[in-house]
Formats: sequence, C-alpha cells, structure tokens
Amino acid sequence: MNLPDLSLQIAYGRLGWALVAATLVVALAGVVLRTPLSRRALGMVVAACLALMLLPGEASPAFWLGLAFQYPSGVLLGCCALRLFERWHGIRRSRAMPQALAGVLAVTGALLYADTVGWLARGFYYAGFGPALMPALAVMAATACALAIARGHARGPASALLGAVALFSLLRLPSGNLWDALLDPLLWGWAMSALVVAALRKTGRRASDRIGDSESEPVPAPVLRPLAAEHFSNLKEQVGGK
Amino acid sequence: MPAARRRNALFYGCLLLVLLIAGAEALRWAGAKHSSALPTPLAARGAAQAGPVTLTELSHAHIPAPHGMPSAHASTLTPLSGERLLAYWWAGSRESGPDVKVYSSTWNKGAWSAPREVASRASLGAQLGFGVRRIGNPVAWTDRAGTIHLYVVATGLGGWAAARIVHMVSNDEGASYTVRRVLPTSPLFNTSALVRTAPVGLADGGWWLPVYFEIGNKYPMLMAFDADGNPGSVSRIGQSTSTLQPAIVPVSSTEVRALMRDDSDQQRVQHATSHDGGATWQDLPALDLPNYSTSVAAIRLSSGQFLMLHNHVEGDASARSILRLSVSNDLRHWRTIADIAKGPAGDEFSYPSMQQVGDELHITYTWQRQAIAHHRYRIVTGGTT
Repeated sequence: MNLPDLSLQIAYGRLGWALVAATLVVALAGVVLRTPLSRRALGMVVAACLALMLLPGEASPAFWLGLAFQYPSGVLLGCCALRLFERWHGIRRSRAMPQALAGVLAVTGALLYADTVGWLARGFYYAGFGPALMPALAVMAATACALAIARGHARGPASALLGAVALFSLLRLPSGNLWDALLDPLLWGWAMSALVVAALRKTGRRASDRIGDSESEPVPAPVLRPLAAEHFSNLKEQVGGK
Repeated sequence: MPAARRRNALFYGCLLLVLLIAGAEALRWAGAKHSSALPTPLAARGAAQAGPVTLTELSHAHIPAPHGMPSAHASTLTPLSGERLLAYWWAGSRESGPDVKVYSSTWNKGAWSAPREVASRASLGAQLGFGVRRIGNPVAWTDRAGTIHLYVVATGLGGWAAARIVHMVSNDEGASYTVRRVLPTSPLFNTSALVRTAPVGLADGGWWLPVYFEIGNKYPMLMAFDADGNPGSVSRIGQSTSTLQPAIVPVSSTEVRALMRDDSDQQRVQHATSHDGGATWQDLPALDLPNYSTSVAAIRLSSGQFLMLHNHVEGDASARSILRLSVSNDLRHWRTIADIAKGPAGDEFSYPSMQQVGDELHITYTWQRQAIAHHRYRIVTGGTT
C-alpha cells in the first residue's frame, strides 16, 4: 500500500473541489439564465471558486466538502474539467459522460459498493491497493486511453481517465487506492443520472414516434406493403450500378 | 499550430504520460515484490504452560478525569519503556458531543499523571484540512523505535456510520502528536470504519490494526502496518455481517484467532480463525459465552495462556453490568478467573482493555460512563488457585 502525503491530499482537495464547484455553478447558471455563460463569466466563476476554496480553515468550502465527501475522484475531476472545456468552446451537447462510460461506472460502482457494505465479501476495494494487479491495470488503462486519444476516439472521456490514472500513478492521489481515482459516489450518481436521462429520452422518443405514426396516413397491412420491396430492389440496383 | 503538428504533440504527450505511468508503477511493483517476498509471521508466544493462572489485585483506582467532563468511555493502553503505560480515552459532556476530546494519562511509579488533551475536533480539522464532526474511540500502538501510533475515530457528516480513522504519531512519548493521514478504508466517501480493539505485533516490527465497518451490516477487518507505520494491506475477517470490534490473539506464527462483539440475535462471543497469518479467515462457531453487543478484550500472556475480558450476563444482570475475566488454553473452553466489576442491572462496566507489563496485568474499562477505572494484578502462572 503506497499512500499519498497528507499535504498533497489537502492541496488536491482544495483544487478538486474548486473544479467540481465551478462545474456545478456553470451548469446551474446555464439552467437559470437559459443561455450559456460567456467566456469571461466562465473564467470568473472558475477563479471565484478557486479563491473560495483556498481560504484558510473553516472559511474554505473545501473544509466542509471534505468533511462530507473527503476527496473527489480523479475521473470526476476529469469529467468536470471536460465539461468546463466544452462550455468554454460553446459546445452545448456534452460528451463528458457518454453512455458507454456511464454504463461502466454504474456497474463498477454497484459491485464496489455492494462489496463494501458487506453484501458481497470479495474485497474489491482492498484489491485497489494491490501491488501487482492494480499497477498492471493502471498501465493498461493509460495505454488504452492514450491510443483512443491518438486515434480520435472518445477523446474527452479518454483524457479524463488518463488524467485520473496519471494522478494515481505519479502522486497516488486521491487516496492511494485505484478505485478512489476512478470512482466516487458523486461520479457514480452522475453516471446513474446520465443513464436514467438517456433511458427517459429513449422512451420519450419511442412514445413520440408512436404518436407520430398514429397521426400519419394509415398504412396498408404489412403483407400488402409493396413500398418495402420496391425500396429494397432500388438499393440493389444502386449497388449494382457502382 | 497546424493540425499535423498538433496531432504529433498530442501523440507524443500521451506517449510520455504512459511511459511515466508505466515507470512509476514498475518501480512500485519492484519495491512491493522485494518487501513482500515472505509473509510476515506473527510475534507469537509459546504453547500454554500447564497450571492455572492466579491473579492478585495490587491496586485499583480511577484515572484522573479532565475537569468538567462528566462522560468518559473507550479506554485503551499501550506500554512505554521502563514499565510505564499510556492510557487513552475520550471524555466530554456526552457521547458524540462537540466538546468530546481524546485524553491521555501516563502510568509511572504506581500513579497516573494528570490527563493531557491529545485530539479534538478543532485540532484534527486544522491538521487534516477538512472538518471533523465527532471524536470517538482511540487505539494506540508503541512501535520498536518508541514512536506511538494513535488511531482515533473521527466522523464526517453523520453518526458513527460516517466514521473515519485518523492516524496520529508521537515521537516524544505522548507529549505531542502530528496527524499522519486519514486511513483509506472504504470507497463510500471513506466512511464507516472504526477502531476499538488493540493492535497485535508482528515479528518484523509491524503490527495489525483491528478495524470494523458499520453501515447497516457490521464486519471486522485487519489493516497491516510495516515497522515504519505505513499501511500494507487490508483483509476482511470472515463472512459474517453482524460481528465487530475484533480482539486479535496470535496462536502460532501462522495461526491467529479473532474474538468479536456480536450484533446478531445469537448473543454469543463470536469467533474466527486464520491459518495463513491473517491473509484469509474462516468463521468458527460462537463461544459459549454471552455477548449482548459489548466489546471484548483479549491477550496472550507470556506464559502462553489466553485472557479475555468480557461482559457476562446471568440472572438479573444487564448487558454491561458484569465485567468478567476468563482464561483459556485453547480459546474454546474458558474458565472464569474473577468478576472485575459487578453491579445491579443498568450499571455499566464496559469497553475493557488490558496489557501485560512484566508480571503485572493492567486492566482499564469504562466505569458507569463517567470515568475510566484501572485495576492492577500480579500474575502467577502454574501455582494453585
């Protein structure tokens, strides 16, 4: 078990909570104002959050956030940084929490937390301190992320993950346990929310498709659909033509 | 910057980061491989000598209480050089109160020193950089170099289920302390891990710290420390989800037992064993001793026999109104030596701790939630009772 120095953890907590708080404030401002913040306003929010977190002792919100949540995970910080980056560049459709990442985080978190509260007894969390398997996993994850970034696949989430692994491997932040670098209950909540929202959107789309279908012209029974056959044969002709 | 140059910079940046990560992990892996080439044996004592253990009481008293603190609980003992002892406990206006602090007192030449404040919400918060809501059980270990390692329960937002364990060290025999870190014990905001029972020494100078988890389910764990006080590994004791506060006793260099507080309807002292130096554990049938969810303490005497302090329940007694000392040669069959404290139902003599110093046995426990009582006995082994 190789743990970070307390002073490093304190600095990480201050900076990390500033990033998380800034992301939340920017998101809330977007909802309240119904328009994205300007770059200048965004910069001011980030600077204000940093300044607040750097206040000494109990005056710092990080003192109270640490009381409740200890430290944010590296991946949460990466996702927050990515979200702020997207806002900075005026990207409205966020890629900070894609469904694939949300799914992996949701399943991993469910197993990890079920084990922690004693429903399973596999010692998943303690394995995160492991001297052989976890270093190997960290190197493999870093390599996969670097390849994804270089090839342009899911660059945002891959960068967030690579940053978290780098923080863990080089500085052992936030706790010396790989799972704490990759996941925390706040990030797990974000992933679960993203999945629920995606499921609701999908359900809503299906419902609206059904409504749209029922309001459109009545279609003939399937056995009498010459259009499908027509369409199919058209495609064949096009392919054959090339 | 042209797109091609940007792509190259990104590629080489990622490559450099991966190489740094691989290098750091390779170094760590090599170090870990070197240090854990052999399992660390327990600092076990020899087989139990024949003959009964006889205890003769030498003294009993209350440890001096801090002024204006009517509530006291959860004492623990650790030896110092020269047959001295340090006792730690928490005191305040009430359990979980904002004024609860950890105090210590030194046993030297037959007397306890005035209590000294060791940790408070304010002192821990200032050193940790984040807040602490409640202060709870302390547990201490003196390493071979004489450094005292003090583990204190300090909660986050919530009750004891939000507890964390703060590791403090003192290099001047308890005159001053610095916070080393909060031990990482859980992925749930690092909460719900507590300490209560005494650490156990290992042959290489390291030690095991008994820990337990308690959000809903309760289960015991062991955290291993090396001789420098750095945590090495964590393992869960058994599969039970209703046992806590494991009292660890080494049987041989590889066999170790845990005697535990029971939170189930069985209401018996719970029992687990490891035959591989604490790496894996198996639950054993409960002992035939009542346990109405109260903490136990156990040690192995230098003669090899096992002693356990536990709350006995019989007749009209309540869960914590009798504190009994029992002895065993095999950890299965126990014989009562004495009732250390006994009162009518509703009285409380609980959370015991004991330490052998030379041929003396020191016992401390919570007296009516108001004070910490201390009893001192001369141990004679092999005589007649």
